[in-house]
Amino acid sequence: MGKVKIKRKSTLIDMTAMSDVTVLLLTFFMLTSTFLQKEPTIVYTPSSVSEEKVPMNNVVTVLVSSADKSGKLEDPSTVEGKLFISFTGDADSTLSSENIRGMMLDEAVALYNEQHKNAPIALTAAQKAAFRQTNMFGTSFQHLPDLLTMSVTERDKEQGDLTNPNVGIPINDNKNRDGRLNDFQIWLKAIYNVAQRINNEQREDPSLTEEQRANLSNLYTALMRKGQGIAIKADKDTPFTTVQLVFDNLQTMKLNKFSLMTALKSEDEPTQ
Amino acid sequence: MAQIEQSDKGGKKKKGAQKKMSIHVDFTPMVDMNMLLITFFMLCTTMIKSQTLQIVLPTNENVKKEQQSQAKQSEAITLILDTEYEGDKPKIDGETGKTVHNIYYYEGIADTLFQTSKYLTKEQFIGNVNREAQGIRKILRGKNQQVMAQYETLKNQWKNKEITKEEFDKLAKQNAADSLKTRPVVVIKPGPNTTYEGLINAIDEMNINQISRYSIQLPTSVDTVLLKHYEQTHPGETIIRPLVRKTNNEPANPAQNG
Repeated sequence: MGKVKIKRKSTLIDMTAMSDVTVLLLTFFMLTSTFLQKEPTIVYTPSSVSEEKVPMNNVVTVLVSSADKSGKLEDPSTVEGKLFISFTGDADSTLSSENIRGMMLDEAVALYNEQHKNAPIALTAAQKAAFRQTNMFGTSFQHLPDLLTMSVTERDKEQGDLTNPNVGIPINDNKNRDGRLNDFQIWLKAIYNVAQRINNEQREDPSLTEEQRANLSNLYTALMRKGQGIAIKADKDTPFTTVQLVFDNLQTMKLNKFSLMTALKSEDEPTQ
Repeated sequence: MAQIEQSDKGGKKKKGAQKKMSIHVDFTPMVDMNMLLITFFMLCTTMIKSQTLQIVLPTNENVKKEQQSQAKQSEAITLILDTEYEGDKPKIDGETGKTVHNIYYYEGIADTLFQTSKYLTKEQFIGNVNREAQGIRKILRGKNQQVMAQYETLKNQWKNKEITKEEFDKLAKQNAADSLKTRPVVVIKPGPNTTYEGLINAIDEMNINQISRYSIQLPTSVDTVLLKHYEQTHPGETIIRPLVRKTNNEPANPAQNG
């Protein structure tokens, strides 16, 4: 009987095919990805059958924070209803998000100082530059200079801590008591003013044809015509009264057309 | 990593013949790195973009009574929304895993004297069961039959590729706003304990049922009377409850009042 020869097989596996696949996948993800924007808090939006997409450009997002879900706080509703605003500009350079933020900030601060002559705020160039780089923020005008002086990490940390009284744009009352607007309303007014100014400038741009001028697509037209300029993002479990306060402020500022962010569901899906 | 192997089979070689070289490149580290990058991109991307729901609210300035438009009694339907709570969290239905929202509706003008049978009726957002509208959707659809019939025809035309999506959207919009048809006027009144989801569900039903005329208002004292009556006639059900969560109306910062 001959000996059974055990062949020594090489354990090398050809990884070339695997590598091909992974590179393909990688290319796909790199090309399709849009990065998640940094938001101070996570909210779970309710779902609707509406198929309209959130516009990529020219949109102001108002985030309404939800009650604490981690269970760490004694009263979870204390962190509810804090407001944050984020500006997204055009895709092109002159009205990019950074430039839009800069314009909004200048306008809002001017409006604020006009109303609060005794306690005006002044921002340095560095603070303004910091604001241009911030995607989402939520604080009072009084605290804004302090917030913008912080480093990015410190700022994120403070904004993420919703128990901090300095976090959230104040929306104390919705009535124009003695003609003074609250901080949220000042921002809304700034948004409207800036949007209108951009629209007027673009309309007078001599390089445009008549047709292009009629079909301008900027923040102003999004706000006024399509109602897509302002998108409200709130948690599904947030009480209606909290959201109503935001609606009411928008109505007071005559921004009656806006959109609500939702997730998608099918018509046949049970809603309850 | 990469190695060059000499194949020396048999050992018998002609002198001068070139040695056969086979090159093995080990791709494992490359795959590892790629996998890491893929994981990174997968975690950082948003594949599904959020959807939006358009909403137009009326001005909240005082409008004179003469300027207000009155809805026909036969067309009006009022939905009072409410969300059930368990402790300080919205109650979750054990079967569906969704929050429990109730709708109390009445048609026409509220009968606060309770002489007719136009009391509140309780309904829920059920959606479709076997493609048939259920719950509040069935009721709203019944009120908007004329529009919905035309809408279904349009939808079939679109499905049969007789019209394009754009044409369908345009025609559906015209159809929903067709003043020659009997269309309901819906008033949505979210009660104090309603969650945002309840409101979105209600607006959603308007879109599904092609209802072009609806408004969102706060409940009035008449509605409270109706709810009270509902509670009395349905023992064991409580709708009027203290606020579970109060709105955070922080006192104004004194520094701001400069």
